[in-house]
Amino acid sequence: MNDREREWAALLRAANAGDGRAYARFLAAVTPVLRGIVRSRARGHSPDAHEDIVQDVLIAIHTKRHTWDQTAPLLPWLYAVTRYKVIDAFRRQRIAVHLPIEDFQESLAADMQDATAARDSAALLARLDPRSAGIVRAIGLDGDSAAEVGQRLAMSEGAVRVAMHRAMARLGRIARGEKG
Amino acid sequence: MRTEDLLVRIAADPPQPPLRPGRMLAQTAAAMAGCCLLFLAVMGTRDGLGTALSQPLVAVKSLLPLLVCLACLPAALHGARPEARPARPWVPLALAGAAGALWLASYALRPPGARFADVSVPAVAECLGFILALAALPLSLAIALLRRGAPTRPRAAGALAGLAVAAGVAAGYSLYCTQDNPLFYLTWYGAAIGLAAAVGALAGDRWLRW
Repeated sequence: MNDREREWAALLRAANAGDGRAYARFLAAVTPVLRGIVRSRARGHSPDAHEDIVQDVLIAIHTKRHTWDQTAPLLPWLYAVTRYKVIDAFRRQRIAVHLPIEDFQESLAADMQDATAARDSAALLARLDPRSAGIVRAIGLDGDSAAEVGQRLAMSEGAVRVAMHRAMARLGRIARGEKG
Repeated sequence: MRTEDLLVRIAADPPQPPLRPGRMLAQTAAAMAGCCLLFLAVMGTRDGLGTALSQPLVAVKSLLPLLVCLACLPAALHGARPEARPARPWVPLALAGAAGALWLASYALRPPGARFADVSVPAVAECLGFILALAALPLSLAIALLRRGAPTRPRAAGALAGLAVAAGVAAGYSLYCTQDNPLFYLTWYGAAIGLAAAVGALAGDRWLRW
């Protein structure tokens, strides 16, 4: 542990002084450890979700690396940043599926441009029955109207809305870790 | 994006200048002092400031918020470091306790008619309005400076900054203020400082997340 502290601190100190190669080595050394931390904290989330959280933490380390006091130990700093971002990631994943259905169409559909978010939702959708998943994908991700989807599936527009609403409620329960 | 690609991309970014909480503290303190000096230059200090300050109850009006500021402002800005542990709030709690004791003693010792005689809408509005107006700029600066940091408790960091800044400018404002009844100044300075802390908490929630 002491070796790790000394080695990583030396690398990040060099990185903050402008040594890009030291920074790359620092990040390469930190990443597997972060994966281990995230995996142990995030049981029940898919491996893809783990990797997204790892990337969140890495980006935070990157954008906040100047807040480390170079005269102080590095590991407490690293742990504090990691802890903050892991908690933040869990909270956000929950909020994302708590959106009411009206918000879902506009705001979440816009988020779906983001590949990581799309991967999250794909993992969640895989846990729904195929028809519900198809409806959520068409309305929520592709931006189709309930009427279009209804025509395609030979359902009334109202029935599509109800199915969508139920599917969203189930997604919310799944994401909160309850049984769908 | 694959994590390996992300690593390559961020490793190529140039470094940023280090965070200096000491300098952030100096800048915020300078903004507070500047606002108070400008205010006192325009509005003037109260008549007979020197003799007034020689009375303990008047001196306490300046001293108490000044001590709160000195106790809280460094902690507020050092909260910009993610690993910062919340300091034990003994000093602020002791000051709050002293304020509470003084309030109760003043209440007990004053005849009923004199307790809240000086409370009026204009007097309270003047007190709250000036303290909050004086706090606005330095608090905005403190929040802006904290944004470069990484407070792991953004709401608490914002609240503490609001509290410290408002207490500091209240000490400056007290040199103009002629309300010497502790029941008045403890209540309304306290309310102004509490409001600023609430505004700071909201600002922290909104702007200090990262």
